[in-house]
Formats: sequence, C-alpha cells, structure tokens
Amino acid sequence: MMNHKLTELVVDTQQESVGFDEEHILEALKHFLPTQTPLKDFIHHNSLHAFQQMEFYDAIFKASKIFGYKVTFNLDEYRGLYQIGRIRMDILDKVISERKGPAALSAWKQLVLLQSYDETVHPRIGRLRSAWKTAYRIDLNNLVQPLLFRILGSYLDQGIALWHFPFEDQGLLNAVRELERNSFSSFFKTNRVKKLLLDEKNCTISNLLSLLVGDEAYFEQYLFDQQFSHRGWSGMSAALEAHPEAILYPKKIELRDLIVLELLLEMDALEAQLAGAWIPLSEKVKVKPVDLFADFETSELHEVYRIWQDAFEWSYYDEVLAGLQQLKLKRPESKRSHKHFQAIFCIDEREDSIRRHLEAMDKDCETLGSPGFFGVEFYFQPENGKFYEKLCPAPVTPKYLIKEFGANSHREHELLYTKKTHTLLRGFLSTLSLGVLAAAKLFLTIFRPKMSPAISNAFAHMNVGGQLTVENKSLEDRENDLQIGFTVEEMAARVEGLLRGIGMVEDFAPLVYVMAHGSSSANNPHHGAHDCGACSGRPGSVNSRVFAIMANHQKVRRLLALRGLVIPDETQFLGALHDTAADEIAFFDEHIISQKNATAHKKNVATFERALDLNAQERSRRFASINTHAELKHVREAIRLRSVSLFEPRPELGHGTNALCFVGHRSRTKGLFFDRRAFMNSYDYRTDPEGKLLLGVIRPLPIVCGGINLEYYFSRLDNYKLGAGTKLPHNVTGLIGVTNSSDGDLRPGLPLQMIEVHDPVRLVILVEHFPEVVLKTVQAQPEVYEWFINNWVHLVAIHPETNQFYYFRNGAFVLYEPLAKEVKSAEDMQYLIRNAKEMKTNFIVDATQEHLPVHVIND
Amino acid sequence: MNQFLPYFILLPLAGWVLSALFPNRNEKIIFGISIATVALHSIGVFALSLFWLYQDKPNVFYDGVSLYKTHDSDFSIDFYFDGISSVYAVVASVLTFSVMIFSRFYMHRDKGFKRFFNNVLFFYLGLSIVLFSGNFETLFIGWEILGVTSFFLIAFYRDRYLPVKNALKVVSLYRVADAALLLGIWLCHHAFEKNITFSELLNPAVLQEHFMEEPIYPLLISSIFLLAALVKSAQFPFSSWLPRAMEGPTTSSAIFYGSLSVHIGVFLLLRTFPIWESSEVFRAVVIAFGLITSLMATATARVQSTVKTQIAYSSIAQIGLMFIEVALGWHTLALIHFAGNVFLRSYQLLVSPSVLSYMIHDQFFNFIAPQHNIKNTLWGKLRLTVYMLSIKEWNLDNFMYRFLWNPLKRLGALLDFIPVRAVTLLFVPLFLVGFFFVYNRELLPPAALEHLPSAMAVIGIMLALKAFKMRGNAQLSWSLVIMNQLFSALSIGLHEEFEHVQILLFLSGIVVSGIVGFWCLRYLVKEGESIKLDRYHGHSFYYPRLTFVFMLAALSLSGFPITPTFIGEDLLLGKIDEHQFLLLGFTALSLILDGLVVFRIYARLFLGPNEKGYHEVAFRSS
Repeated sequence: MMNHKLTELVVDTQQESVGFDEEHILEALKHFLPTQTPLKDFIHHNSLHAFQQMEFYDAIFKASKIFGYKVTFNLDEYRGLYQIGRIRMDILDKVISERKGPAALSAWKQLVLLQSYDETVHPRIGRLRSAWKTAYRIDLNNLVQPLLFRILGSYLDQGIALWHFPFEDQGLLNAVRELERNSFSSFFKTNRVKKLLLDEKNCTISNLLSLLVGDEAYFEQYLFDQQFSHRGWSGMSAALEAHPEAILYPKKIELRDLIVLELLLEMDALEAQLAGAWIPLSEKVKVKPVDLFADFETSELHEVYRIWQDAFEWSYYDEVLAGLQQLKLKRPESKRSHKHFQAIFCIDEREDSIRRHLEAMDKDCETLGSPGFFGVEFYFQPENGKFYEKLCPAPVTPKYLIKEFGANSHREHELLYTKKTHTLLRGFLSTLSLGVLAAAKLFLTIFRPKMSPAISNAFAHMNVGGQLTVENKSLEDRENDLQIGFTVEEMAARVEGLLRGIGMVEDFAPLVYVMAHGSSSANNPHHGAHDCGACSGRPGSVNSRVFAIMANHQKVRRLLALRGLVIPDETQFLGALHDTAADEIAFFDEHIISQKNATAHKKNVATFERALDLNAQERSRRFASINTHAELKHVREAIRLRSVSLFEPRPELGHGTNALCFVGHRSRTKGLFFDRRAFMNSYDYRTDPEGKLLLGVIRPLPIVCGGINLEYYFSRLDNYKLGAGTKLPHNVTGLIGVTNSSDGDLRPGLPLQMIEVHDPVRLVILVEHFPEVVLKTVQAQPEVYEWFINNWVHLVAIHPETNQFYYFRNGAFVLYEPLAKEVKSAEDMQYLIRNAKEMKTNFIVDATQEHLPVHVIND
Repeated sequence: MNQFLPYFILLPLAGWVLSALFPNRNEKIIFGISIATVALHSIGVFALSLFWLYQDKPNVFYDGVSLYKTHDSDFSIDFYFDGISSVYAVVASVLTFSVMIFSRFYMHRDKGFKRFFNNVLFFYLGLSIVLFSGNFETLFIGWEILGVTSFFLIAFYRDRYLPVKNALKVVSLYRVADAALLLGIWLCHHAFEKNITFSELLNPAVLQEHFMEEPIYPLLISSIFLLAALVKSAQFPFSSWLPRAMEGPTTSSAIFYGSLSVHIGVFLLLRTFPIWESSEVFRAVVIAFGLITSLMATATARVQSTVKTQIAYSSIAQIGLMFIEVALGWHTLALIHFAGNVFLRSYQLLVSPSVLSYMIHDQFFNFIAPQHNIKNTLWGKLRLTVYMLSIKEWNLDNFMYRFLWNPLKRLGALLDFIPVRAVTLLFVPLFLVGFFFVYNRELLPPAALEHLPSAMAVIGIMLALKAFKMRGNAQLSWSLVIMNQLFSALSIGLHEEFEHVQILLFLSGIVVSGIVGFWCLRYLVKEGESIKLDRYHGHSFYYPRLTFVFMLAALSLSGFPITPTFIGEDLLLGKIDEHQFLLLGFTALSLILDGLVVFRIYARLFLGPNEKGYHEVAFRSS
C-alpha cells in the first residue's frame, strides 16, 4: 500500500511545481533511497523496488539513466556469452522474431551481434551539485562527507565506541545543538552557520536551501543530488526512521535532520573556504533545473540489451521446461503407499540438493517444501534475552510471543574482543598480556579453526535444552501487547494451513521431520543474508520446533480430525535444523519419540547423514580449497571447517545461482537435476482444484523469492553501486553496516563473494495448475499481480492434464513449447558433479560455465 | 655469522622476482612461492636469533658491496644484526607467515591476488632491508620500498575513489619522512665526515669525537630522524593518515598498518638512540610527543564508531607509549610492548568483521540503556569539548593541508604569471647554456660561479612549485618535473667539479624515465583519452599494461632506490656543503614536490573510477 501512495507522489513530482513541498520531497527521497536496515537482520528485497510499478525493462533503463546503475551486461559480455553457447542461437532468433517480427530478424540480428554503440551512461543525478566544483573549484563532498559520516556514525553507533554520543536521546539535530551550546569546540568553522543551527525556528530545509541554492525550482534536484552522493547513509537514516525497532540500542533519527545538518555543513564549508564570497548556486548555473524523473526515451541500444537479456534468460528457462517435459514423458507417476518418513524443508533453493540426495538414499521417503517459518509467526525471546526476535517473513507483524525458559545457558566470552584494549592503560596492559594470546590465537585460527563465541552459530540461536512457551495459558498472559503462546484453536489453524497448503493431507509417514535451516559463518557481517529469508534473516530452528510441538499436540490433532485432516496417532513430528554452511543437522526434542518410532528414527538419522555427505560433496565442487575427489568424510569435514574459518570469505554461496521457483507436486521435479537453482514449494492441485489455497501459497513467493532473486540480480550486475563490493576491505561501522575506508559511505547490497557464481536471470515461478486458475489467483491482489504484469518475475503455468506450458505475457497465458527437444540425462550425477569444471575467473563468461545443465537422472 | 646476513635480503628478493613471473590465475604457484619464501626466511631468522643468543649477543656487522665510492663518500650496502633486529625480524616473519596463509583463502579469486602477494613479498623485502640494514643508506632503500608498497596496497582497489585519494594522502606524508631521512643522512655524513654505520654509532668515542666540535649536530640529526619517525609511526601531529590507510584487503591492513609498517618509527628511534641518548632535553621532547599522541589517540579511539579506525587509534596510542619507553631507555620493555601490540592489533584487525555479530549478540543479552546525565558544569563542558575534538580527530586530518600543502600551493600560485609556453621557450635554452658551463666552468667569472648554483636551485624549485600547483595538462607537469630535476643537477654541477659518470648516471635515469613517461602520455592522447589532471581518469581500466610501464617510469623519475636517478640524487645531495642550508632546503623541498607531482600524475591518470563505456563504476563516496 505504501508503495502506491509513494508512486503517486513521484508522479506528482514530475508534474511540477507549486513551490517547494518539504514533506513531499522527503517522501520521494525515502522512496528511492535503499531500504536495507542494519545488517544484523538481512531481509532480501528488490534493489530497485522504487521502480517496481513500471515494466521491468522500462524501469531498469530509467533507473540507469537517473542514477547511473549498470542494469544489464554490456555488449561484449552478452556477445561473449553467445560465443560460448550460453546464449543459444535458436533462442536468440526466437526472441528477436517475437519482438521485432520474423521479417526483421536478420536486420536485428546484425545489430545485436555486430553493431558497435557508445554504451556510456550519462546519469542525471549529481549534475546540479557538481556545479559548485566548476563554479568555485571547491569539492563539497571532500569537505563535508568525512565529518558528516563521522557524526552520523557516532550518533547511530550501536556499541563500537566506548563513549556514546552525548544528548543522543534528543534526536540528531538537537544533540548537535546541545553539543554546540555546551562545549568549547564546534563542528562548524564559521559563526554564521553555527548561529543558523541554533536558531531552531528558522533552521529548516527550505530556509537553508534558499540561502544555499536560491531558486526554489532547483531544490528537489539539489536534494536528490546531495542525498544520493551518499545513498548508504541516507538510506540507513530513512530506514531507521521508518523502522526504529531494527536496532537494539534505540536512536532517534530522521532523514530531515540529516539533510539539515548536511546543508549547514555545506554552507559552513563554502563560508570557510571562500571567505563568504559566494552566491547561491542557482544564480551561478546557466542550465535549467533537470527533472530527474522525466520520461526517458529508450534507444536502439536498449532494445538490443533487452533482446540479449531475454535470450540469456530463456536459454536457461527453455532447458528447464524441456527437462520437465522429458521427465513427465519418461516417468509416469507412481504412488508409494508406505513412506519411511517425510521431511518438510524450506523452499530455499539450497535445500534442493539435500532433498535430492535424501530421496536417492531412501526411495521410500518423501520430501516437501514450504516457506521456512512453517506458517507460525511470532516473536521469540531467548532466555535472558533483553529483546525479541521476529521469526516470520518481514512484511508480517506477529501478535504472539514465544519465550524460552529452563535453558540455563551461559554465554561464553572472547577475551580478544574486549573493548578495554582501546583505552590507554588497560590497552597497555592488555597489549603486554593479550599480545601473546593473540599470537597463539592467530595460529589456531589458521591451523585449527573451530567454533567460538565470535562465530555466528546457527545452532546457538535456540538452546535445545530449553523449553518454549508454545501453548497459551490464558488470554491474559500477555507481554508488551503480545500474546504469550498460541491457543489450541490458533495452533490448529496454523498446522492445518501449512499441511493443506503443501497437499499433505493423507498417507502420513510415522515420522515427519520439520527441517528448518540456518547458516554458521565466521568473520561475516553479512551472515544474516545466509539465514532463512522467511524468518527475517534468522535460523528457523524455533519455528520448526514450535510447529512440531503444535502438530503433536493432542488437542490440536482432535480439532484437525474434526475438520477432516486426520493425522494417525503413531505419526510424530520432529523439529530439526539444517546448517546450510556446515552441512550438519540437529534434531530437537528427540525424547518424545515413541518406542515404536525410535528404531526408524535412528535409521533415518543415518540416512540424513549420508545425504549430508553427498550434499557436502556436491557443494564442494564450487570451492577451490576443497578437493571434491577426496574421501567423503574429508570433504564433509572440510565443508564444516569452512563455516568456522575466519579466513574464509565464502563459508557458503548463499542464494547465488537461484533462478527457478517450482510450485507443485514433487513428482514433477523428482529426478531432475537443477544444480541447486530451484526454490521448491510443495502444492497439490488435486487437493485444491479450485485454487482456494493457491493464493496463500503464491502470495509470499514474489516478495521472498523474487526479492532474493532481484537483489542477487542487481548486486551481480552492478556490484559497485547496487552491491556492497568486495568484502575484503569492509570496515564494520556502528554495528549497523559496512563501509569502505574510514571516510566512506555505507554499502548496502550483497558483497562480491556472494554473487560471483550468480547468473543474473529473473526468477521464473512455475505453477502446476490450470492456467485459468493461476491467472485468477495472481490477479486477486494488486500488489502480487504487479510483480507479474510488470515482468519482475516470470510466471509459467504447467497444465496438470495436458502437461503443456503456458507462459504469462501481457496479462494472459500463451502456450510455450520448449525449443530444446531433449536435455541431458545421467546415471551417476555425483560423478558429473565431482568432475565439473571450476570457473577460471569470476567474469561472467567464465563464471557461468561452472553451472551444470539440467539433467534427468536415470534410476 | 655475518656472512649469513645478505641471504636475509636475497631470499625475499628472489621470491619476489620469481612470484612476479606467474599470471594471476596461478594462485597456487604464486602463493606457494610466497609462503615458501617467508617460511624459509622465518626459519632463518629463528636460527640466526638462537645462534646469536648462543654466541652471547654479539653485534653482527656485514660490510657489503659498495655501490659507488668517491674520495669522501662510500655508498655501500651494509648489514647489521642485534637484539632489536632480532625481535623485529622474528615478530615480522611470524606475522607475515600467518597472515599470508590467512590471505591465501581470503584473497582467493580477487582480481588482484597476484598484486597482493607480490606487494606483500616486496614489502617483506623492504622490511628485511630496514631491519638488517647496517647504515642509514641501506635503511633508506628499505624505507622507500615500504613507502611504495604502502601506496600500492592502499590503492589496491584502484578503481574506487577513496583508496586512491587516501593512498596519495599517505604517500605525500611519507614523502616528507623520506626527505627527512635523506636530510638526516646528509647531516650524518657531514657530522661524521663519512657514511656512518650503526655499529660505529654504538661506539661512544666516535660520537664524542664528532659531536664535541659541532654540538648543533646531534640535536639537528635527532630532530630530523624524530620527524621521520613521527610520520611513519603516525604520531602527533601526523596521526590521521593511519586509519585512512586501511583501504586494502583486511589482511594487508593487519600486516601493514595494524602492525609492522607503523612500528618502523619506533625502530628508527631505537637505532638512533645512541645519538640522542645524552640529551635530556631531546628525550623530554620525544616523551612529550609520545604522551600527547597517546592521550589524543586514546580519546579519538574512544569515540570511533568504525572498528578499523578504532583499532588504528588504539595502536597509535600504544606506539606513543613506546616512544616514551624508548626515550626513557626501557628498550626491552619497548620491544615486548612492540611485539604484543603487533600481534594484538593484527589479530583484532583480522577478526574485525566478526565484531558485528559478536557484539550484537552480546548486546542482545546484556544491553543496559545508557544514562544521559551530562552536567552543565565546567567539567561537563570540557568533557564535551574533548568529545567533539575527538570526533574531529583533533583537526589533524587538515593539519598537513593547512600548514604545508596549501602554503606551497599558494606559493605556486604566485608563479601564475609565468605562462606555460614560456617555460619551454625560456628554460630549455637556459638549461642548455647552463649545461655548457658545467663543463666549461673556467669561462665563468668567480662571482657568477658563486651565485649561479643557488639561482639554478631557485629556478628548479619554481618549476617544482608550478608543477605542484598545476591541475591541467599532465604532459606539462611531467616536463616540469623533469626540468626541475635537470636544474637541480645543474645547480650542483655548477657548484663543484664532479665526475662525468655521476652526472651521466643521474641524467640517464631522468632522461630515460622522462621519455618513457612522455611516450605513455602521448599514447593516451593519441587514443583520444583525456590526460587533464583535474580529476581521476582510471585509465588502468582500459590500459593495464601502459599503467605498469608508466608506473616504472614514475618510480624512476621520483628517485626510487636503486634506479639511476636515486643514486644520482644521493650523489648530488652529497655534494652540498655543510653550510649551504638554503641549497639543501631547496633540494629537499623539490625532492618532496617532485615525488608528489609524479605520484599524483600516476594516480589521477591511471587510477580511480573510469567512467567511459558501460561497466560497473564505483560511487565517489566509496
């Protein structure tokens, strides 16, 4: 909803100008600035969310024109991809023919393959403000930013500094005012500007702009230029203004304060450097103000990029669809009546491989997929924790609280992280004493990496020995406006919702594992980005445990039975956590397992272990430091060590390579090798012929999977502007983010080490249901439909009866027949995995060759 | 025992050369050579140290090759080993070894993998030369290597703005330290009437004998070395460069700025201690600098919100204490303190990225909302004042601009009246005439002979100032630097008889590197590229090889050690008499300015973001 309101605002801006409207411009700025909150929680989202109301290509090219982002590959890169066959000729022809008409094929092909263009982008942002430099040979960025960032960083700091910002409870600007009033020093060099600051009444953005810029017509452009010269800090301030709960140490921050402070510092710099000899900028510049958001005429070159990107994407999708078709023809569904066990995983594409291995190890098991919060949304408070953690998708606001008790946990400390080494005398003593320890630690770190309190440990998120307040005792049992625990009715609703959504309504196995995931990593400020996206960037262990407790609850079972969902008495649900970096699994509450199920569980655990071995081996092919051909147990150990190695910037590769999202029954994908590129959500159209549950299933997918996909997409294509750049020089700032340098801007987005394996293709959501049902479903909610109609994610319906594919285009489904007649098939996929090629460099033409094509695995 | 010493230089030299032969994608080989080099070196250092202990700690001196020799000067490469060398070398080798292994995984697949290891090895070579040097001349070679590798490692991510800007900032300061060290060497040369070795410094009789006649010398020499040490160890008032040097990969920050590089100032103080040991006043001065630095840096560290900056200031504070320890004569303590600080800060830097999750986790369980009770008293006001000053880093980041670069720029601006064309039209013939007289000094009247050298030096410094102030055409700046060098040579050539070989050596260095650099610039122009110095162009993006060639030319022109220019420069400096302080000052200043101009041309043209074409371009603010 928010988005729509802002969209109108932005449209208004283009229609110009009834004078300067401060509120309006602030809203517009907040709309376009990055929305990433502090790194402790990493919520993936579309980096160009501000343009989402436009068609994908129109949007990205416009974003590029305004802000100078790189939003596609350049021609050399696309042509290189074509040369190595990654972009297929038949697909390229098809894309051109469809877009330009068959008659224009050869002419356009000529352009696409051979024409040379000047590809330089001349962005609109920054032009006005750069006039200071041309007019006065003065570099305001250099003069203002270091101090501004320092003040802002110190103000927002969550606990690096030993001495926190005085008066920080009063808001940024007021705190600076108090400092100026009560000290003998000043952040300002000139009295004039200091007086402006202290004149609280007149110290407004518009007054300052009148002094600095002059003509109102230039204000908007100036503010955009200014704030986008450090979009990281501005975005963080705006994000914290909107979500003050995103930090633990509360701070009052408003984008408005930041702008006022910056305007003052700019004016101070001008006064000091030019000794007052300057006039407002608008009187100095000759050009008219530029409407940053004016419509942008795309050119032939943009058409060429568009054709290339479509061809790049469809070269892969086509192979996927061909694989699905081939599998269906080859392997008609067979129903197994007796299942050894069932395992519900997160839809996360990293779980694709472990599910495949599990099914290979035990032919009589069933794996399913559902967003990893397992339909239970709540805040979690670990024992002795002073705060709550949200454990559900970011847009959801839970009404429930689950508390941990009886854990008796004791948190260990790491001596070398103490801040006391930064004071003079204790620093002196600690260098003498801790120096030796540090030397020893350094050696151990390198030669004997092991888990320590300094490493983010997925298994430590919840204490297995503790208990959880899952069931609500009475409706009065509340804390901070949250209900503690769920009532039986509420539990039943959630269990039913999940089970029906994934089509798990009959043939229950005796043991059902609810497998959450999380990721351990060392020395990694971005560790949250590896955890479960459906749990607000945290491990899903509590959710899986809570769900299992709910589903095992006798009263819940009775209620469910009344509603026609009969879970046999011997069936037990068991929570578990898969560490996707270390490839380890921990099971929760194993003591509840009945005697009857105990032997089976033991056997299943062994099956999981073997699957983990193979999973580790499969993952190891992308890690240069591990010899994939080594014995399984060595590979497994090497994988585990990565997750606790401080020197390893790639503990795992996160969501890199994600491209698909399959919604349907596992039988359509079981036996296909997707190389860990597919999100997989279980759904059975037969249990929901009219698609009543389908909306609930599809609704989170664009925002969660599409968000992940687009963040990877843009961070891959412009790792400098939309990504965080290489991790190696990152400097942790205020415990909220990373910067380059001591004077640099915050760097939102994903670091290079996470995206270098990624092929930037948009997500394609494949839904197994009748096209008309799918269409009706996605059209039901405008904010869901926006993703599809504007092509930010692709949508394909798989007709469950004719098995044909329907591609969603311009609001309707059209038949798609794969051009590839056959995909590869293999007997021993693991052999291919072990011998797969490793990328030579992370340049896209090299990097993409690391992916293995879709294979049908022969039994 | 002393015959082993050269191998401690030759080994890293060989490893460095060897590792430079392999392309970037051969990560295993590059790492293999690097780690083998450092491992062997470490074993050697340990063995040597043990042997040295076993031999009851003798002072080991190796009289090395003479690079050139004249009647009054002898530039020879000498080596020396004592307790100070031992502690420094052991710590350095252990740390470098560990960090290299760490980097093998950390740097994997970085575009600059090879550049990184080459630079670390080169750094290690420089460090070894410094630690094992037997005289100031040898030390200076290593010192310069450290400076240059610092520049490359700070500007490691050369397509971003801040690393390049900060690399220039740091190297400019280093240049001041270099000039200080050169002046120190010159002063020593005159004080001792020969190139003094470190083992001779330990002999009180030698010191006594020479310092008795000219009591100003020990104070001058010590002050100038102190200046060099203050800069290199980021002491007051030069502290602000250190946090800004943390631009490269975390591992390089850990090894350089967290630890080894920044402790070289302490090493220099330890080495020169015999010279100023007897001066109570000077020791008090050193203590004062150490104390001021410690207090200011601690306050600054307390308010830092970025982790690497905080570590940098904490390290600076401890080094301040080491200065005090050295001045008090507590050298064993200083060495222990050094080792502890090196390991602690390197470790803290290496694990600095994990601070985020560790501290947030800690906060989650232990957070106590802070109290806001600042009293409106004088004490309260003072506290707030210190807070604000610390946030502003005590204005130290502006210090060099305000007191050195801007005044020099203003001086340069005074020369704006000389049009650029005049430079070529006027000065080239002038130089040729001057050159003629160098070989025909007898044709000049004695009065002219007396004043001409200074006049030439003044012209030289004017050219350098003009080059320093210019933001326009790179070719012109480049030519001005060459001409400045030529005029400096001329001033000295006119001053005193000297051997043809010497001037040829010097000229060949300048002329060859000058022409090569010029050709690179012409090439860029021919390709239609801009070579204006008003912004960063990042030409290394499209011309990586040309960048390398130009870099060599730039190093040579700026008098990097072992290039002919350097030897020539050093020789020429040696020609300046002990009372010609003005000439000396001019020469030193033009040395600094030349280096700055040359590095700036390199950085502005070849480094920074390249905005041509359609590829990823970094923001100005990163």
